[in-house]
This record gives sequence, C-alpha cells and structure tokens, in this order.
Amino acid sequence: MEQSNLAIEPEVLKAIYGQMARIRAVDKAIQAGLSAGKFMFTYWPMTGQECIPATISQLISKDDYMITTYRGIHDQVAKGVDLYGMFAEALGREDGVNKGKGGSPHISDPSSGSMVTTAIVGAGAPIANGLAISAKERGENRVTIVNFGDGATSIGAVHEAMNLAGAWKLPVIFLCQNNEWGEYTPIPVYTSSPNFYGRAEALGFKGVQLDGNDPASFYKGMKEVIEHVRGGNGPVFVEAKTFRMGPHAGVGDNYNVDKDYLKTKKEQAPVAKTRQLLIDAGICSEDELASLEAAAAKEVDDAIAKALESTVTPATETLTDVFANVDDVPRRGHYPSRPAEGDLPSETKTMSMAEAVLDAQHIAMKKNPEVFILGEDVGDPHGGVFGTNKGLQTEFGNTRVRPTPIAEQAIIGAALGSSIAGMSPIAEIMFTDFFGVCIDQVYNHAAKQRYMSGSATHAPMTIRVQAGGGMGGFGAQHSQSMEAWLLHSPGLKVVYPSNPVDAKGLLTSCINDPDPCIMIESMMLLYTLKGEVPVDEYSIPLGVAKVVREGTDVTLISYGWMLNQALAAAEELAKEGISAEVVDLRSLMPIDYHRVLESVKKTGRAIVVHAAVEFCGYGAEIASTINEELWDKLKAPATRIGAAYAPIAYSNAIEFSQVPGSAHIVARAKDVVKS
Amino acid sequence: MSTMLTMPKLEMSMQEGTLAEWVVADGAEVKEGDVIYLLETDKTSREIEAPASGKLVQKAEAGEVYECGTEIGEIV
Repeated sequence: MEQSNLAIEPEVLKAIYGQMARIRAVDKAIQAGLSAGKFMFTYWPMTGQECIPATISQLISKDDYMITTYRGIHDQVAKGVDLYGMFAEALGREDGVNKGKGGSPHISDPSSGSMVTTAIVGAGAPIANGLAISAKERGENRVTIVNFGDGATSIGAVHEAMNLAGAWKLPVIFLCQNNEWGEYTPIPVYTSSPNFYGRAEALGFKGVQLDGNDPASFYKGMKEVIEHVRGGNGPVFVEAKTFRMGPHAGVGDNYNVDKDYLKTKKEQAPVAKTRQLLIDAGICSEDELASLEAAAAKEVDDAIAKALESTVTPATETLTDVFANVDDVPRRGHYPSRPAEGDLPSETKTMSMAEAVLDAQHIAMKKNPEVFILGEDVGDPHGGVFGTNKGLQTEFGNTRVRPTPIAEQAIIGAALGSSIAGMSPIAEIMFTDFFGVCIDQVYNHAAKQRYMSGSATHAPMTIRVQAGGGMGGFGAQHSQSMEAWLLHSPGLKVVYPSNPVDAKGLLTSCINDPDPCIMIESMMLLYTLKGEVPVDEYSIPLGVAKVVREGTDVTLISYGWMLNQALAAAEELAKEGISAEVVDLRSLMPIDYHRVLESVKKTGRAIVVHAAVEFCGYGAEIASTINEELWDKLKAPATRIGAAYAPIAYSNAIEFSQVPGSAHIVARAKDVVKS
Repeated sequence: MSTMLTMPKLEMSMQEGTLAEWVVADGAEVKEGDVIYLLETDKTSREIEAPASGKLVQKAEAGEVYECGTEIGEIV
C-alpha cells in the first residue's frame, strides 16, 4: 500500500469517508424529509458523530456484534443495516427490518450484527455482556461493541455491566460516544467526573480516551482496542470525544449550546474535515468525492422512495411476535385446550422442591452445553442461598455456573444477551422483591425483544426467583408476590409450581421454551414439601392447568404455595358438606382458561386465591373472565381472595392475617356457596 | 412530480408551528436546499429548505399557526 504521512492508509481513509458520506446523506435526507413534512417520526440526530462508526466499520465485520441506542442511525448505517429495511422500519412498514414493529429506536438485524437497539439509556451495556459471553464460550472470535452516549455513564446499568465484564474478562467494548450532552443537560451539570474512561481503571480494566472526530488517530486507537479485546484480554472502555450538533430530538441545531461554541464545533466537524484531508493529501479528486457523495445520496433517496411506497404494517399484526406461538397470547374468547402431560417416567425418588429444581437444572446442563446458570451466590459449596444449584459448579465448572456480583441488572442483561445469541441461560435472582432493581431488563428488554424486532431476535432465557410471604420474619422487602407486575408486561411467560413434580417439569419446559420464562418458587415449599419425583427428564407443558381435587359446589383456583392452602381449605369444607374442586394453574402465562372455565361450568362458583395483594391482582383478571364468559351458568359471582392492601408486616400477627390462609378461604367459600 | 409541503413535526412535543414568513415569493423558482420559509415553534425558529427544485406554490398565509401535517404549499 502507498505510504503517506497521514498515519492512515489512503484507501482506509477513503473507505471511512465513504461511510461518513452515507451517514451524512441519511441524516440530511431525514432532516429534510421531516422539515418538509414529507414524513413524520421522532428523530434523535447524531450530526457530528459520523466519524466514530464510519471508522469502526473498517475494523470489524458483520460477525462482530453491535448494540446501540435510539441515537444510533449512524451506527446502523456503518454496521451495514440495509437502508431500505431501515427506512421502512422508521416509517412503520411491513418491509422494515423488524416488520415496522420496533421503529428506528429498536432495530435488531442479526444479518449485519446489529443485534439490539434500545431506547432506554444505558440499558444496552448489560445485554452486551451476554452477547460477549456467547462469543467467548463458543470460542468465536467476535467482539461486541456497545455504543452509548456520555449521558448513559450516569446510570447504574452501565456501572453494573462494566463491573461484571471486568470480573469475567468479557470480549466487549464499551463505546462511550462523548458528545458533551446528556439529552438537554451538558456535562458539568450532571457529573463532576473529569473524564469517563478513568472509570474502567477503577473497575480493573483498560480505559482509553480517543478523538472520535479524527479518523486517522481514532482508527489507530480503535485498532489497538479491538485487537486487545479479540486477543482475550478482557473488556475496554473507549471514551470517543465528539460533539452533538443537533438537539436531543428533532431536527436542526443544538439550540441549548452557546452559538459561538457551536460555530467552533461546526468548523471542527469530521465530515467536511475528512473530505478536505482527502483532497489536500491528493487521495481523491473533487470529482471523485462528488460522485461518491452522489452515489450515497442516490442510495438513500432510492431507499426512502421505496420505503414510502411500501405497505404500512397492519393492525392484524398486533398479536404476532408477542410469543413464538400466537396461541399463547391471551385474549377475549380465545381459550385453547392444550394437551396435558402424558404419563411421567415411572422411576421416582423422594425430593423436596429444591431438589427437584436442582435435578431439572442438572439434567438440562448435562444434555445441552449451552445451558448455564448465573446469579448471586449460585456457586458451591452453597449452590445458591436456597441450595437449588448445589454441586453444579463442582460438576460443570465456573463458566457453566457463574456466581455474580450483587447486581441484578447485570445478571438479567447477561442472561438476555446470551439468549439472544441462542444460549439457554438460567438467571437466579433470589427474591421476587429484587425485580425492582432489574425490572427494566425484564419488562423493557427480555419481554419485548421478540416483538420489537418482529421476531428477528428473541430471548429464550429462564429466570428463577423465590417468593416469600405468609411465613413470617422476612419483612416488607423479602416477602412480596410480584407476579401481577410480570403478567402485565406482554412477552413474559410465568410459571408458579405448587409441588416438586410440577417444579421439575415446568422448569424443564421453561429452559426449552423459545420465550423468556420466569419460574416463581415458593420459599414455603422449597424444603417443606416433598414428593415422589420421576428421576428421568420430563416436561409439564406451559399453559396447562390441572384439577388436583374434584368437587361439585365451588372451584378454588390457585397456584404456588397458596394452592396448598386451597387444598387444606377444601378438606375443611368437605367436613361441612361443601364439595370444592381445586384447580392448580401451574402456568400463569400462558393461562389455561379452557380448564378453568370447564371446571366452573360444572361447579357454578369460583374463587381465585393468591398470596399477592388482592387489589389489581391476577385474581381480578380471572374472576372477571369467568363472570363474563359464564354469566348465565354461575350460581354466584366469581370472586378472588388475596393479601390485604399493605406492605408485608414484620409482626407475625399482622402477616399471618394479611396474607390469606386456609381459614380465610374456607370462610369465603362458605359465603359464596350460601349466596 | 410535485412535492407537497406540510407543517413539519420537528420535535416529539411539537403539535403546531407558526409559518412566520415566506422567504420565496409565490410562483418563484426554487432550488433544492434554498430557504423557502421561516418556521417558529415554542422552542426555536428555523429556516426551512426546499426539499426539491421547482416552482413554489404558497397555499397558506404567513403569520398563522398551523397544525403539524397541514398542507402549506407545493413545489411543482
């Protein structure tokens, strides 16, 4: 290659400019189209930041993974997302890379390596770790680059992710595009940090600061960074200094910036500067650059024109891509009858629920090398605070059973990213109460990835979580039943076993399911309830309830440990001449309304029982459906019974009365049958 | 092929804008990229460029507020 004093090969510089020109053409066309009223969508301009992805595009391939944010159109263009598919997506069209279901802030295009785009600031970083885990465990040579702005450095998710990546030496690059503005707020206002790259050193890995507006030095710096990460030396944090010339959202100038400062920054902007450099260095003629720019403009114009002609994604698409199987989506009047499990393997062993969970995980890990466990304290000798993973780290090693920092966003994000790459992670987050510190990764990301991407990607992950409440002594923050939160977030499957046999079979189904599944395990049951559990592998299908006691006067519908309270209540009611049928939902999503309605048709009365707060609880949903569907067959309105509207108290006297027990159920059932 | 000009939506929160002034006279020829009118919103004022070349047909009075999406002119 020809030598020059540019510190970059002329052909590389020209190729970088080629990408800059494409990005510039896209940015210009969007701003012009929005200004003219040609189309309407929300745009977060990246004008001024073109050099960063344009340069990186010359150092990575489509096999390398990328995550970016809503302000990431430049990243998408340089990564190789098809422009027609991208514009069709931004316009909500069927031909969009994600069927018009995600829009430009949620592009997911595995064919180019643009895996996840998030509109939640900082949320991509934990997910990037998961992609990096998959690359590392599979012995692939990929790097994962997660782009975010300087504003994202303030949020906990980024810190959690950086800490985990450092601890596990993951092949991930945290690429902070420092454009001096966090939305409408500039750096000295939101942080007193003198820089951002220094935070990596504090977490034990490499951080560098590069001029993201100078292609030659940025190319050189990023080349070293990428080689470092590809070489298995752990993550790197890159602070790429640039400047955002547009507003947070919309078109035009960054009107919050001092006008003189903006003028200076415009003069230093990378696109024109790089263009001039190509001419001054004699690499390209004016004509050559003009034709390169014209080609870029034509590519963009053609893509937009075609996208504007394409079909708007119709409302008939509403329920597809929520789950792998549209049949699992709950909706009025749709109550599929799913086949129940057949006979289970005959050889059994007495197991507690904890042992049944351990057994399901052990079988899954032996069978599939891509099943791995991560969570706080999951390693041996304890094997998790509830011992549900005991011995697995010893048998399968430190990469299959990964004790994590106390950082739930990092845990869920790592599981999620690895599942998007096709692995089958099982993340344990101890208490359901801890959903509060990672709910963004659960309901905004895991739940929605399939939908937002139009099924281009999905998250076949499992979350195991333990629920307290009603047993005394754990207090308000370790005793809650949070299933209604999860059930109100479309895209999550939830199971809640009431016994060891179901726990093993449901967990096996969750691990093998193509959608994100959450298994809630009752602390009340993990050690206290033993059962004869088949020793071989078996599955309990999702969305299949079970009549566990037959009766004729009233149907008690429940799940988890409260199901056992319902069974005890049925026993008491029998003594008083009331015959209660008990239905164990087992799966809360998908729900088996078919078997619920069949039972209530027979008894004419229904009470849904759960440990969760009654107000706005799952019982209200089920009771309402029963009342609507069986109005003319009911002898009494279907009702529900759950916990009082109060945090769980420390006082046993309060706790044992605020969460329903068998006595509460008996009393309510007698009222219902009398009425 | 003519190009319709509508009141643009420049910001998530923008519902309407003021067509402050037509910079180009009705019926005059414009080139793509020429400033054709001044737009004012509650946040900013901005010069709007012609999205295409041709003859400008004004279809809305300057000094008035229009909802986003309202047709205000055409380039023919």
